[in-house]
Amino acid sequence: MKERSSRHLANITDEERRTFLKLGLKITGVMAGGSILSLVSVKDRPAHAYMDMTGYVKNDYKPHYCMVIRQNHCVDCEKCKEACVKTNHVPSYGWRTNILERKVDTEDGQTMTIFMPVLCNHCMNPPCVRVCPTKATYKDEKTGIVMMDYDKCIGCKTCMAACPYNARYFKEENRAIDKCNFCYDTRLSKGEKLTACAAACPANVRVFGDLKDKNGEPYKLIHKPDRVVWVLRPETGAKPTIFYIND
Amino acid sequence: MKLFKHPFMKIIALLLGVCLFAFAGQAMGEDEEEDGGTIVFTKPVKAVIFEHKIHMEMGMECDSCHDDIFEMATGTAEENDDFTMKSLYAGKYCGACHDGDTAFASNTRCTACHIGVRGYQRMNGESPDAEGHGGGHE
Repeated sequence: MKERSSRHLANITDEERRTFLKLGLKITGVMAGGSILSLVSVKDRPAHAYMDMTGYVKNDYKPHYCMVIRQNHCVDCEKCKEACVKTNHVPSYGWRTNILERKVDTEDGQTMTIFMPVLCNHCMNPPCVRVCPTKATYKDEKTGIVMMDYDKCIGCKTCMAACPYNARYFKEENRAIDKCNFCYDTRLSKGEKLTACAAACPANVRVFGDLKDKNGEPYKLIHKPDRVVWVLRPETGAKPTIFYIND
Repeated sequence: MKLFKHPFMKIIALLLGVCLFAFAGQAMGEDEEEDGGTIVFTKPVKAVIFEHKIHMEMGMECDSCHDDIFEMATGTAEENDDFTMKSLYAGKYCGACHDGDTAFASNTRCTACHIGVRGYQRMNGESPDAEGHGGGHE
């Protein structure tokens, strides 16, 4: 992945650059035809600078839930999906989290499989929230989680079309849109510290926690010097809070 | 020269030769099938692939692994509680060779062996994206 990271840098807007610099991260490249942004933790940037930035940090979310995905450790065992289905009663025709697969050519001329866990990105600027006509989907003021109010949802599916991550589906049983909510109702509100998927992962691929907690694992993983961090489809401006790394 | 007095005899001999060659070839084919074929482990996680052929082509013999590291019978290792990555790192099972010295280390190149649920479904003729909790992202 790293060798592909220097392409399409020109497509990054100055605004995006500044935003990530404020986060203490330097943009090093865009991968996969502009749909993946790569960032490197800036060495000489004090970690507390993070608290000053707009977008990711200028908010009152406490805790600000996020997930760091250690992508190269994913082997598609799908124990995360099993746990999610069981915990959140996800029907067979939908998903709240999924594993994507792609083949890439390696330098030595061989083909390598990459498994990529995906879920709702709990965006800072969620396009789904912007388009919802009934405010059935909203960004929780306390945690930053993009939540659903099933009673308000009229099933118009506009949010499904707006989501850059295909992270929503229409749940027949509820006659409403369903999506990942970091297991807020099923686990977090009951005192659990992790989402079902993170707890079920045997390889610690899904590192869940508070983006603002400097002693927390997500923060430490993101801000490790010279770490390459990327998000999916940054060009949409949605500012996802699911971060990807290889370590 | 006297052996094939008649041209017809030559043809007979030739046919016989071809038959013998074909039979030998078939026998070799059977031997190849008996190399253990493709093994797919589904415990403790779905799914890990092991190709006997690839390992044999590297010059390994049956007794390189059997019955010391792995029993001959398919599925035996999977029944053990210690059939885990941790054991591999300690030099057990695949880790006997996949230690970064003899072969690539067990804690690298995960997806060289881990084909995942998707790979497992493909092997069984199912499409990972057909239905269920699959579904493409495009």
